[in-house]
Amino acid sequence: MTASPQSVAPAGPPSGARPGTGRPQSLLARERRFGYLLIAPLIIVLLLITAYPLGYNIWNSFHHVDYLLPPLGSFAGLSNYSKLFTDHEFLPALVHTLGFTAVSVTVETVIGLSLALALNKPFRGRGIVRAAIFIPWAVPTVVSAELWRTMFDPQQGFVNFILTKLHLPLASTTWLDSTWTAWAAILIADAWRNTPFVAIVLLAGLQVIPSDIYEAARIDGANAWQQFRRLTLPLLKPALMVALIFRTLQSFLIFDVVYIMTGGGPGTSTNVLAYLNYHAFFYLFDYGYGGAVSVALVVVALVIATAYRRVFRTDEVMA
Amino acid sequence: MTVWPGRTRIRAFAALTAGGLLVAGLAACGSSTSTSTSSQVPLSAKQTIVFATQGLGTEGQATTNAVAAFEKLHPNIKVSILSLSPTSDVAEQQLEHYFIAGSSTPDVVTTDVTWPATFARSGWIADLSAKKPDTSSFFAGQMATGEYNGGVYAIPWFINAEGLYYRTDLVKTAPTSISQLVSDAKSALATDKSLKEGLAFEGDEYEGSVTAWQSFGAQIGISHLNNIDTPANVAALNFMYDAIHVYGISPSAVTGWQESNVQAAWLAGQTPFALNWPYIYALSESTTNGKPTYPAVYGKTAWVPFPSPTPQSSLGGDDLAVNAKSTHQAAAYALIQYLTSVTAQDARAVFAGDPPSVQAAYNAGLYKAAPYFLNEKAVYSVVTPRPVTPVYPSISSQLQAMISSVLSGQSTASAALSSTGPTVQQLYATGTSS
Repeated sequence: MTASPQSVAPAGPPSGARPGTGRPQSLLARERRFGYLLIAPLIIVLLLITAYPLGYNIWNSFHHVDYLLPPLGSFAGLSNYSKLFTDHEFLPALVHTLGFTAVSVTVETVIGLSLALALNKPFRGRGIVRAAIFIPWAVPTVVSAELWRTMFDPQQGFVNFILTKLHLPLASTTWLDSTWTAWAAILIADAWRNTPFVAIVLLAGLQVIPSDIYEAARIDGANAWQQFRRLTLPLLKPALMVALIFRTLQSFLIFDVVYIMTGGGPGTSTNVLAYLNYHAFFYLFDYGYGGAVSVALVVVALVIATAYRRVFRTDEVMA
Repeated sequence: MTVWPGRTRIRAFAALTAGGLLVAGLAACGSSTSTSTSSQVPLSAKQTIVFATQGLGTEGQATTNAVAAFEKLHPNIKVSILSLSPTSDVAEQQLEHYFIAGSSTPDVVTTDVTWPATFARSGWIADLSAKKPDTSSFFAGQMATGEYNGGVYAIPWFINAEGLYYRTDLVKTAPTSISQLVSDAKSALATDKSLKEGLAFEGDEYEGSVTAWQSFGAQIGISHLNNIDTPANVAALNFMYDAIHVYGISPSAVTGWQESNVQAAWLAGQTPFALNWPYIYALSESTTNGKPTYPAVYGKTAWVPFPSPTPQSSLGGDDLAVNAKSTHQAAAYALIQYLTSVTAQDARAVFAGDPPSVQAAYNAGLYKAAPYFLNEKAVYSVVTPRPVTPVYPSISSQLQAMISSVLSGQSTASAALSSTGPTVQQLYATGTSS
């Protein structure tokens, strides 16, 4: 334990290395050392729960760690990574995940923004409506996914029941059994659960916009669209960015809805990266390949986060 | 966001690295201690062993009863039951987590017939050959599922096989060909309007779809893995597709059905044919307070091998194995011996409908208590195991995805088999190479 604070603060020696510079520096060094000592427990805990698993995972990804095919631990070079590009599972899953992320985030943002705009207007019973809209977000994803799976059941499900009653087409669809209807079902379940989150964040953003600027705009003759385009949207940008970053990363890491509703099926047509990763770890117990998938996931997620940060930054410069 | 001055940044990095080394060091210490050898607790000592098993309802109760009887015979041994998930795939994952963590408990584990090869290959379950189990007392097909590389790693507990149930009031005689089955199903559907489908089977993307495919005639035994792209396999896969999309005797909903859905459809009396395991027979013939529990099927149930050109039924069932790291090997094996005794097997068969794995348990006493076991023999006589190989999980997930893609119309049977065949062959090779 004591080893780390000492090695943390190589600032100690300088006082001896540079004699003559006097007390102030060594006092600073001592304070600094004390500071490191104070944050050392936190850093150790952080290392234990994030850096160590991450490092271990990277190590796994370069080794043969297939628990169902021991011996374990022989160096595997890049073979786990090259498997990503040759196994006909990773690349389709990557495409599915990116496509789903793009569509779901767009849909959820558009609906969430409309909801937030509506809820920002004063009307009778607004408090109740606001509370009601946030209920889906308070339901655990596993529960909501199970609910939607039951609703999409072709024989006992509510969706086909209501379509039949209303004499609408698609009433005999086996929703989870063909690629596009399965994706539609997943998208609906995901949007139902997550649109409220977007709405909450955007509503908070809307509420800090002062109302007097709209008055000024009206006096200048701006119509509703111009007000939205020139005032609301630019001022909402910070909140919009927060909502987008959160939703994009969560959507990119989608797991529970797919796990429960389709298991990646039919075939592998709704397989997504997080599900593929789970399957590699907890069904095939191949920690080497699973590690490679995890690393790929982290890399793509970092790319997305960095891209958003870029957008965020240029925005700050402009403002 | 504050930007750290360069030097502080380097120091912080040094701190992170040092901490990382420390953590890695701790981890190394932790893993080196777990390999120490353990001393065995003798059979006569007072001890508690952990028995990991699946089973809900009557099956769970039957296990509790058997354990109580065992504890009476061995007053010094207490057995604590660890309930595994009723979903087979999840139960397997739970056990694998215990094994990978190097846990010495559970001492006795229930394993599906497809797991022992994998567990044995990884050194997780003990070789029981030294205890000289009487391997000839079991059905040979199931005994083979517990053998690996010349060792005996798992002992059959109860046998299971998948066969075709038919309603004797709707179908006069058992169909002897697939075309007859289809026409029987169609005419039953035409005459009895209360029927919702002609044939119920499990088509969801899970292990059950593989056993269904095998029961419909697919040949995927160990000797076929080098080439599964055969006419028999294409025909069996085509039948699954045709039943839904061409003959219209199975609803498209079967693509999401598991055993429990097939069970519900059968017991409700909404189908003249259903592919399922023997526990349905016991349920169909069960009574509550002297009255049939499921009047729609009571006394109208018959069970035969599926009438493919060479009838075969997929072998299921559970085996028992001992954790290789257990310190209670003797007591663990004693429990297995008790559970596979004729007395315990007959008690479980009558109580829960689980067919005995021991041949001698099929005796006059059993037939008197549960006559339907006589009729089940035809199905057990044609059991065919799924391949006994440590890479079965990978092979199965390929087959599941293949079947699902065919049933949903994304691929034709022959195209799906010709693309999955080489992958399966390759996987099988990795399982035998080292």
